[in-house]
Amino acid sequence: MAKEPVRVLVTGAAGQIGYALVPMIARGVMLGSDQPIILHMLDIEPATEALNGVKMELVDAAFPLLIDVVATTDAMVACKGVNIAVMVGGFPRKEGMERKDVMSKNVSIYKAQASALEKQAAPDCKVLVVANPANTNALILKEFAPSIPEKNITCLTRLDHNRALGQLSERLKIHVGQVKNVIIWGNHSSTQYPDVNHATVTPTNSEEKPVRSVVADDNWLNTEFITTVQQRGAAIIKARKLSSALSAASAACDHIRDWVLGTPKGTWVSMGVYSDGSYGIQSGIIYSFPVTCDKGQWSIAQGLKIDDFSREKMDATAKELVEEKTLAYSCLN
Amino acid sequence: MAKEPVRVLVTGAAGQIGYALVPMIARGVMLGADQPVILHMLDIPPAAEALNGVKMELVDAAFPLLKGVVATTDVVEACTGVNVAVMVGGFPRKEGMERKDVMSKNVSIYKSQAFALEQHAAPNCKVLVVANPANTNALILKEFAPSIPAKNITCLTRLDHNRALGQISEKLNVQVSDVKNVIIWGNHSSSQYPDVNHATVMTPSGEKPVRKLVKDDAWLNGEFITTVQQRGAAIIKARKLSSALSAASAACDHIRDWVLGTPEGTWVSMGVYSDGSYNAPAGVIYSFPVTCKNGEWTIVQGLAIDEFSRKKLDLTGQELTEEKELAYSCLS
Repeated sequence: MAKEPVRVLVTGAAGQIGYALVPMIARGVMLGSDQPIILHMLDIEPATEALNGVKMELVDAAFPLLIDVVATTDAMVACKGVNIAVMVGGFPRKEGMERKDVMSKNVSIYKAQASALEKQAAPDCKVLVVANPANTNALILKEFAPSIPEKNITCLTRLDHNRALGQLSERLKIHVGQVKNVIIWGNHSSTQYPDVNHATVTPTNSEEKPVRSVVADDNWLNTEFITTVQQRGAAIIKARKLSSALSAASAACDHIRDWVLGTPKGTWVSMGVYSDGSYGIQSGIIYSFPVTCDKGQWSIAQGLKIDDFSREKMDATAKELVEEKTLAYSCLN
Repeated sequence: MAKEPVRVLVTGAAGQIGYALVPMIARGVMLGADQPVILHMLDIPPAAEALNGVKMELVDAAFPLLKGVVATTDVVEACTGVNVAVMVGGFPRKEGMERKDVMSKNVSIYKSQAFALEQHAAPNCKVLVVANPANTNALILKEFAPSIPAKNITCLTRLDHNRALGQISEKLNVQVSDVKNVIIWGNHSSSQYPDVNHATVMTPSGEKPVRKLVKDDAWLNGEFITTVQQRGAAIIKARKLSSALSAASAACDHIRDWVLGTPEGTWVSMGVYSDGSYNAPAGVIYSFPVTCKNGEWTIVQGLAIDEFSRKKLDLTGQELTEEKELAYSCLS
């Protein structure tokens, strides 16, 4: 007996990340190869023709799992009945724009989208904010959609988490599947803290070992590794002349899949979630934590030791998030 | 026990189709969710930085199935040990270029890639040519890689096949997975013939012929055909870019069905080296209905061809013969 289709919304669907993301969703990467999907795609008026082009290609790909496609510029139509919402749409930073300008534009967008989602989405809709500033866009969305449970509103730091795994796998010349439990703390920005203190590597035919002992280079782990992960987005733009659509889309699928289908035993992932004060991080911001997922719910992995070096970094990124929150609220007044 | 990795080459990997295709391959869409892959990506020196950017993103995506990435501008390195080769790289048609100019540039490219594949690919390497003119590029590749079995060299018409299924599903308002057995005959060009005479739809009361359900022969013989033939242009008009997403997806379908087999009772369309079946010209790469089993394709024989279809099969065959002549004249 085939499963009932799940409605997945992608905003900004006519853009680069959307174009990489929708075929992944339609092939079952996000929710499993037995889960039929109805895709909702939203973009702004100027992108109507391009959006329709994406819809045409989705029809042309004859995806077995794709039951239907709703392509629209109307947020109320786009949000109707959706079970999953991936918010990729936002105002990109352009040359000469100040941080306040970008914040201001995005705050308006996320306030409006919050309203549409709250009115139209299915109960228990799971939300993933990708568009930057991701944490603060997600916070605004949460604040203006009070009837959506705060635990259902998250932002993407899985890209940074996967990038950290990738860097370690290259350093150790080992397959990335053998590395796990890095943590991305805080803001999806250059203040994020990629923490390997609890990460492990399982070499072939050997047992799990701490990454720190196998890498045996604390200096690298505390400096270049961190900055490489923090600045990877810029490195991709430099190489491609375009931003990292492929890996961002893939990470969005991983984020939702693990959230909905559960994390593997003994493994956590990083998600930007509404802080409850864990690890001395103030509540009331969307902060990236290590989480495990079971039965469609995430839980912060508790009890991990935090050394002084980490403490400082975790606090610095929290401070930035508090400042962003203040800036966002000032834009609203 | 995990499977040994399969080496998959994508040429033109820094381009749009490549960017859509490589994450699909890395997620198991092409060869199955249990088949580890090593990706080989080739592009030309001007694209070296962009190509490296794609490699960086593949590392950043932490794909469980992706066991290695070789990103290179060296065709020998790219072809070494590959089991599957998807040839996306080619010279695109630019404004003001004549057909002969495009043909000439691509013929040189496919001649040299043929040598590299023949010398360095793994035995029994399966080749899929995507870059246009796909059928003729594939033919040139075949001609200049004589030790690669002719049956291993194919071109992509699965995109047109999937487009045809999509059009029927929209017309009938049914799930595309309930429609099957359309045929794309001939050239991946505007002379292709999308044929529904043997296509069926699964309904609550069993499989029914598409013609009977659509009940509109004028549409099936007219607008349906031109819509499928010209779909590429329609996508370009809407997106201002060509159809990377659906082409990449079709490339995965083509290889997957070839390697893992077609479902019982279902055929697909592949551009393959013609043996003269259905009176198509022999010695060209022509799209036929095929079933696949144990890694081999077989042309579906014995399908009735009516007069309308006969004309269209011949027209596209003639175009392929002309392209072959043009290609050879470029080489002389």
